[in-house]
Amino acid sequence: MSLLRRNSSQLRLLLQGLGASSTKIMRHKSSDNITASHNVGNSINATGTATKTMTTDKKLESTADGDIKKSVFISQSHDIFTNLALEDWLYKNFDFAHHHVLLLWANEPCVVIGRHQNPFTEANVSALMERGITLARRNSGGGAVYHDRGNLNCTFFTPRERYDRKYNLNIVTRALFREWAIKAEINDRDDIVIANKKISGTAAKLGRPNAYHHCTILASANKLHLGESLVKEPANYISRATASVPSPIRNLVDVNRNVNVPQLLSAVGYEYLRTVATALEDGGSAQTMNQRGFQLVNPTEKWFPGIEELRANYCSWNWVIGKTPKFTVEKELELKSNEHGMKLKLNVEVEGGLMTQIGIQLPQSDQLVPVVTPLQGQAYNEHNLNGIIGALKLVSTSNVQQAMNGSI
Amino acid sequence: MVFITKFARFGAQAARQLRATPLTVVQWRTFHVSCMLEKERRYTNKHEWVELLEANQAIVGISSYAQEALGDVVFAQLPEAGTQLKQDDECGALESVKAASEVYSPVSGKVTEKNAQVEDTPALVNSSCYDKGWLFKVDLQNPDEFNKLMTEEQYKTFLSSNEDH
Repeated sequence: MSLLRRNSSQLRLLLQGLGASSTKIMRHKSSDNITASHNVGNSINATGTATKTMTTDKKLESTADGDIKKSVFISQSHDIFTNLALEDWLYKNFDFAHHHVLLLWANEPCVVIGRHQNPFTEANVSALMERGITLARRNSGGGAVYHDRGNLNCTFFTPRERYDRKYNLNIVTRALFREWAIKAEINDRDDIVIANKKISGTAAKLGRPNAYHHCTILASANKLHLGESLVKEPANYISRATASVPSPIRNLVDVNRNVNVPQLLSAVGYEYLRTVATALEDGGSAQTMNQRGFQLVNPTEKWFPGIEELRANYCSWNWVIGKTPKFTVEKELELKSNEHGMKLKLNVEVEGGLMTQIGIQLPQSDQLVPVVTPLQGQAYNEHNLNGIIGALKLVSTSNVQQAMNGSI
Repeated sequence: MVFITKFARFGAQAARQLRATPLTVVQWRTFHVSCMLEKERRYTNKHEWVELLEANQAIVGISSYAQEALGDVVFAQLPEAGTQLKQDDECGALESVKAASEVYSPVSGKVTEKNAQVEDTPALVNSSCYDKGWLFKVDLQNPDEFNKLMTEEQYKTFLSSNEDH
């Protein structure tokens, strides 16, 4: 019975997806809007609560709970870029006016930074590469997180007017309590904590007409990798980018050794389905039966036309590194000398991920002397930075002093 | 003796006041000019504002209601000069307490300038949303769009009728 239901839902989703080819997504979107407002109009008329002065937002808010169905989508992919693309596809193309969706997904080891973050201040980028941990940038705000298959991600999609972080986080804490009697709290930063250690981090994206709130839940992630991945490279960074707030973390498995990701997935999914859409009220199995249930989704081009293009963007250098807000790196260098060492400050300006200006600051001077190097205009990374430092180390103090005298 | 120290203190105070005077003059002057140039500010139902500078130049920002709803803005990403925008196009983002909110253009036209100060100090959007916290300037393509937006009065009514919105 449930299998049958799931299949028909999949079919519905597939049909919805097929309605738009990648080139028609804009049209699809606008026609969605039209049908959305049309439907809203109908439901308002039915309940008879609309007044002339009400805006669309007001109408959406007053949509009766019975008019909202809920689905839990479970992504069949464990690739971070595919899952980010799936999330983005739903955010851009899906109509959530009468259908709230919870997307559940887990990834192979990766570090995911916020939309406006600097990967070099959030993660040890070169160490990630060596360990085969992927670096990705998501579209929502917030800080850097580490993912692996021991971590479950939940994305709560709603129209922007019904975006409600507290509601979503409560779904998670209620699920933990119902399944394992784990008592977790939601702190003022909207993190879920157990005895002051974080088990879940939150971020959100607000647009029109849709919004989403996503959070991580640490079930049995590799804490060693997590700790080592989220350490910045050694240098002084001057940047306006959003900084993460590092917090001590805990795995749920250390609270209750029966916790595992598949069971967590079903616990959160059921809690979501049994809770009334507009209030934190438990509707029990009667509520659950009225929803669209669990659906396994396969994030492929066939199901979601245009998703490949989104994925290509998410894994491109231009997005992951190129979107880094402008920043400056400073590093102190000691030059070799006959008598006593001399300290220089290397100063590299990075814009769009590329080293636009490389200079050194001499002691007892505020002036920045440009360094002529073929590395100018190249991508900023530890290797290239060390290249510059290596070249500068060959310069001895007497050279610099000569150069200084020459310039004076 | 006491008299002399008192006198000196008085002198110092006067000097301080004198020094402070030019500042107040400047403040008074800008206030005056802004009064003279008081242009009509129009609003969208998504809480952006638009103000006409000259015939075709407009300046765009978000309303006090919007900045309050966002909370402390920690990062601002604004459209580059030269960007061609259509009404309701996504043109940037404001990030606050873990949420990235998209910025939509309330009017069509070409961006002539972004507020670099806001990119450097995003908190300006919170502290001065109608003045120093403006987002970008735009050459209006279709002045009709501006005329169709809500007036200050209409926006106030809109806010009071949507209290929990």
